[in-house]
Amino acid sequence: MAGLFDDAERERVAQALDAQVPGASALGAVDYVERLLTALDHDPPRVWAAPGPWSGGPGGWLPLGPWERHAWAQRIDELRAVYRRVADGAPDPGDERVLHTHAIEATYADPAYGGNRGSGGWLRIEFPEPIFPPARGTP
Amino acid sequence: MTISDCDVVVIGSGPGGATVADVLTDAGWSVIVLEKGRNHLVDLEPPHEPLRHFANDELAMTRRHLLGPDPLLEPRTYRRSPDDGDRLLTGEVNNLPSTVGGGGVHADAKLPRFREEDFRLRSERGPIEGASVEDWPLGYDDLEPHYAAVERLFGVAGEAGANPFAAWRSSPYPMPPGDDMPMAVVSSAAAERAGLHPYRAPTGANSVPYDGRAACVDCGFCGGYGCPVHAKGDPIASLQRALRTGRAEVRPDAYATEVLLDASGRRATGVRYLDLTGYPDPPMVEVRASRAVVLAAGAFETPRLLLRNGLGGDLVGRFLTYHFQTFTVGIFPEPTGGERGRSVTHLHDDLMIDTPELRAAAREAGLPWLRGGVVEHGAGPGPIDEAATYPSGEAHLRSMADSALRRRLWVFTVQGEDLPQATNRVDLDPSVWDAWGLPAGRVTYTPHRHELAASAYAAPLHEAVMLDAGAEVAFSATSPPQDDIDLHAASSPLGVAPASRHVMGTARMGADPSTSVVSPEQRLWDVDNLLVCDSSVFVTAAGYNPTLTLSALAHRAATLLVGQHT
Repeated sequence: MAGLFDDAERERVAQALDAQVPGASALGAVDYVERLLTALDHDPPRVWAAPGPWSGGPGGWLPLGPWERHAWAQRIDELRAVYRRVADGAPDPGDERVLHTHAIEATYADPAYGGNRGSGGWLRIEFPEPIFPPARGTP
Repeated sequence: MTISDCDVVVIGSGPGGATVADVLTDAGWSVIVLEKGRNHLVDLEPPHEPLRHFANDELAMTRRHLLGPDPLLEPRTYRRSPDDGDRLLTGEVNNLPSTVGGGGVHADAKLPRFREEDFRLRSERGPIEGASVEDWPLGYDDLEPHYAAVERLFGVAGEAGANPFAAWRSSPYPMPPGDDMPMAVVSSAAAERAGLHPYRAPTGANSVPYDGRAACVDCGFCGGYGCPVHAKGDPIASLQRALRTGRAEVRPDAYATEVLLDASGRRATGVRYLDLTGYPDPPMVEVRASRAVVLAAGAFETPRLLLRNGLGGDLVGRFLTYHFQTFTVGIFPEPTGGERGRSVTHLHDDLMIDTPELRAAAREAGLPWLRGGVVEHGAGPGPIDEAATYPSGEAHLRSMADSALRRRLWVFTVQGEDLPQATNRVDLDPSVWDAWGLPAGRVTYTPHRHELAASAYAAPLHEAVMLDAGAEVAFSATSPPQDDIDLHAASSPLGVAPASRHVMGTARMGADPSTSVVSPEQRLWDVDNLLVCDSSVFVTAAGYNPTLTLSALAHRAATLLVGQHT
């Protein structure tokens, strides 16, 4: 993840996400975004977290097919352009929808994806821990 | 090009295709099942154990297209009528999963049977102007043994006799109903006070260990999710049985593009498909079938394939039906407990019954009769879906803490009968293509005024029940929306296209080739050994979840196919 945003850019991204969901960055929203934008730098890509240890499987991440990878590459390219504008402090009005979506996902998705640190987003809304969570590996 | 042989090629591995594979392999036939999507369900190598790719993961399941299709690869388009131009939107339209197991993977497995009247709607209720209300070419009695068979094959938990309006049955359910969701007990009691007749939903989720699969533990991630412990039997049970015979092969990433015919053009000999494990130029593969080809790709993809191949005649794609959904939402002062359970545990059928009240409502609407649909007593969405409906900033935090639209929500969903109209259809979009250069499927759909009148009857009735159950507020909405489309496009969690995944009727069955696409045996009139075994063949939509009926029909069609060759 290192190198995607410098400190100043990271701060601007955090502020933009917090404007959507206050406290999102404290729950790891920027980590969530960075993990998504670099998902294809890993093998398997970090798009779909695999089931956790309860499943008896290895955990980690589920592999993508080549065409799924193609679609995610296109999607991530578009998102990188959005976050470049946000990091530069010059977002387009249409970027707000992406920020809103990601601030929400970072706050309420499983911690496996880099946000919702310590399940803090769920604790805030009294959402119960899943019985069958995805794997929560280290970044 | 690679070529391989079998008795039957089945296109689609959902409940219809899986049932066909189960029946045919049991009879000793060899089957190749082609599935366009990826495999997250079952190991294709012996002993064919579950893959266990599914978790309680709202992000992967509802946002990141784990079950497919990815709309960037497979866009669909929608318009209400040609007045909207070529299309109103491009993207996700009724996207049932595109994955091994098809729509059965994500469904919360409500598996009611249709009733006797549902197969004889024109005879029992009569025609309605502007709609094509017809009888089916078979009756409930013809299908009952197949209903019983697929209930056993999938494993359906239910309580015979609990629904006073249910059709007759030859055998009890294979297992008792699972635990009630607590709030469903409350809403059912209120429904009973209103003179309605709620009952425990027949559900294809194990209430006890069954057929080597675990019992459901009510994790709460049911509707929209693959089951982490495969307590949902549909369709993994059928696929496993077929694979374990050694006579079935399931090929994921296999996108059927062409049905091959012999020189006469009246006999199917195989299928060509793109092997999507190849990128960027997927190789074309051919499979030859000595006995039959079965289309079970669902009521959206089956007509799309037929239209691309010029098969089935002018009626292919027409008479598209959904369930016109009316949601009555109750906001309660305390949490409703919907985070655990099977999404829906109780139903009532009263709006499907010919009552003086519904007759009066029909008269008032200028219609000869009205039918609503089965009504599901259900829980709210997950937190990500809930959060997406709220504004940003501090108001977001207040809304999520208050959680009116999740934690304190309970909802009645009417799966309203949608009358068939020739103008409602799936066709090929003239200028949108998928990632492989094939025309995208396009929906053209406007509800009949019958649906609107039935919805208008149901909404206040259910709002009163919600209030009696203890809701502070109750309100109703429909999908597709009927008022300001721009407002819904901007803010509705359900969008502007029909949100229903119950897609039916695009390759109608009938006794007359001039008014139907397939025969009562579900064979194309113009290609005798090309069968359709999904909800495309439905003549009317009824008001019940379609999976059990499409599976019973597939079981019947496959049984008849085997019988013809013995």
